[in-house]
Amino acid sequence: MKILIKGATLVHHDRTEKKDILVKDSTIAKVSKKISSQEADEVIRASGKFVFAGFIDMHTHLRTPGREDEETLLSGALAAAKGGFTTILCMPNTTPPIDNYEIAFWIRKVSQNIGIVDIYPVGTITKERKGKELAEFGYLKEAGCLAVSDDGDPVASSLLLRRALEYAKMYNLLLISHAEEKSLAAGVMLESDISAKWGMPAIAEVAESVAVAREIELAYFTASRLHLAHISRRRSLRLIECAKKDKIGISCETCPHYFSLSVKDIERNNFHANFKVNPPLGTEDDKQAIRKALKSGVIDCIATDHAPHSFLEKEKSFQEASFGMIGLEFAFSLSYQLVKEKVLSLEVIADRLSYRPAKILGLEERGEIREGLRADLVIVDLEKEWVVDKESIVSRSKNTPFLGRKLPGVVEYTISGGKIVYKK
Amino acid sequence: MWQRRHLLGLKDLDKKDIELILGQAEYFREIPRRQIKKVPSLRGKTVVNLFFEPSTRTRISFELAAKRLSADVINFSSSASSIQKGESILDTLKNMEAYAVDIFVIRHSFSAASVYLAQRTKACVVNAGDGANEHPTQALLDMFTVKQRLKKLTGLKVVVVGDIAYSRVARSNIWGFSHMGCEVWLCAPPTLLGRDFSALPVRITYDLRKAVKEADVIIMLRLQNERQSEKLIPSLREYRQHFGLNPDILKGARRDAVIMHPGPVNWDVEIASSLKEKIMPSILNQASNGLAVRMAVLYLLKGAAE
Repeated sequence: MKILIKGATLVHHDRTEKKDILVKDSTIAKVSKKISSQEADEVIRASGKFVFAGFIDMHTHLRTPGREDEETLLSGALAAAKGGFTTILCMPNTTPPIDNYEIAFWIRKVSQNIGIVDIYPVGTITKERKGKELAEFGYLKEAGCLAVSDDGDPVASSLLLRRALEYAKMYNLLLISHAEEKSLAAGVMLESDISAKWGMPAIAEVAESVAVAREIELAYFTASRLHLAHISRRRSLRLIECAKKDKIGISCETCPHYFSLSVKDIERNNFHANFKVNPPLGTEDDKQAIRKALKSGVIDCIATDHAPHSFLEKEKSFQEASFGMIGLEFAFSLSYQLVKEKVLSLEVIADRLSYRPAKILGLEERGEIREGLRADLVIVDLEKEWVVDKESIVSRSKNTPFLGRKLPGVVEYTISGGKIVYKK
Repeated sequence: MWQRRHLLGLKDLDKKDIELILGQAEYFREIPRRQIKKVPSLRGKTVVNLFFEPSTRTRISFELAAKRLSADVINFSSSASSIQKGESILDTLKNMEAYAVDIFVIRHSFSAASVYLAQRTKACVVNAGDGANEHPTQALLDMFTVKQRLKKLTGLKVVVVGDIAYSRVARSNIWGFSHMGCEVWLCAPPTLLGRDFSALPVRITYDLRKAVKEADVIIMLRLQNERQSEKLIPSLREYRQHFGLNPDILKGARRDAVIMHPGPVNWDVEIASSLKEKIMPSILNQASNGLAVRMAVLYLLKGAAE
């Protein structure tokens, strides 16, 4: 099967150019000024459109096994494809957790059989995510894991995290940390003037940065690589910037809601539980700091922290409801919004959504539009806008604070491994 | 004219709204002194007390207020109910609403729970305390008591002392007295104040003597028993030493200062028991004023709904 994408502007992490792309089977066969339509079985006429390398999401929750009513590997893959993602990592806070070879292998195989986008399970750091004993990293790696994380329950013992960092090196597994000092985080929203006004139990802004400081020091001490998940606070970015200057092996991600929303939006929306997320939405200051760090590269990538919840989990008062929001279908548009606001360039979007995550994960055949690489491509129309409504959401769960919002940029085609897996 | 369908808090009311409620309460104040302690204002209306958190005083006060207005009253408490079987608070409210309820009086341990439920019902909602957010009728009865005693509500120095960060009574009083043009002072150890109170219209001090100096109104809050185990204060002894009201401290206040407490008082913790005889009449007066204020609120909401 040969697909020709004709007339589009290609967005690389460092430049844009007008070129045609010929996909042959699962690889990018040719990138060139003009490729004849006769060389292809199918031609996508894309003049005026933009092509990115398939997006890579380092942080999703697919709720499988355990809460298949909230998301399945299939529905998650379809949501990813609609959002332009061709490779996604799913976190191990499932029931049972992904803490052994069998479950990790099962997720990898089932998702390969589904074959829409590439799903890599993230293994746990500790058995049952209990923070007591290391999980079998070797077996997890063999089952297809690229990374390990205890996600929502960060490893509390600094000694255990040290051992995990040391041990993971042997398998070149990436350690992803949900940096949160739990004793400072017993709340439901950011500790702020708004939490004080409404008497809401609150999460201190330093609950994140205190933990980030520890992770940085342990990454330094063990000379390991460590990836910080969903960074949301200005103070954390200061520490990360400093660590990067010191050449410590740290990388980090943020999520679209942290550069699109602030704690004020919770009050504006009468404490609707769709605005409840952990880490909590930050101050306007945090939001601006994140935008700046995305631009400067202190933040390496944009991940979604796609967290599906059933209707019931969110149809509760703010204090009672579950944390988390879905994100796969909106991440590109929300990122592109920053281009429209002249905060980022298209190239930076390509870098943070494709190029750098591929580098961090060591996925050498992805993250770029280059001859010989895997044919993971997204074609977008940047002129068009769309409105988020419940019916249009592909994910099994509909919990998003962006319901009713008009967003710029529409994904028209997603090609994963040479196959058209989504077409508007 | 009162036009609001709900009373969820005082933060979004203004001076006129508060004056309207207190004026109406003034009218209802004399009803208990009549031979027949009842008026027909809410006849044929149904009031449901939805209490998802245990309460005796507030519930009784609301129940009596509704009954004296001739409403039919149902009391719901979550300890013996469907909530125990896992029914959500919204479903509980919706099931009740099916019986054509006119007013829900809601108490819940979660902040802004009243806001959540009010947005999802056609009936009127009175917040009878939600988490650490607001307890508007408590503050209204405090203001009513002050007005009764001092004949005015503006330009006063109002001091709130104690367990403030976790107190809905404190928040409603801060909003209420500030709307009326009073100067509100907060006095508590930093651990019981929270970091972001400076965003509210208040002045803050850790020195009770300074707070009480020339004060017109002193609102003492109940120190919840678990504060010591929550690492917020080292001991009741040290708390009493710095934040307990006693005759000596009280000398600094104005002679006619109104001392209030939402009850029940931890005697010899936040207030010295030697002040009991002096303060108790005022606390009981608060209780009877509470009834009048709650009658006023139910009456005004019903009027707005019609």
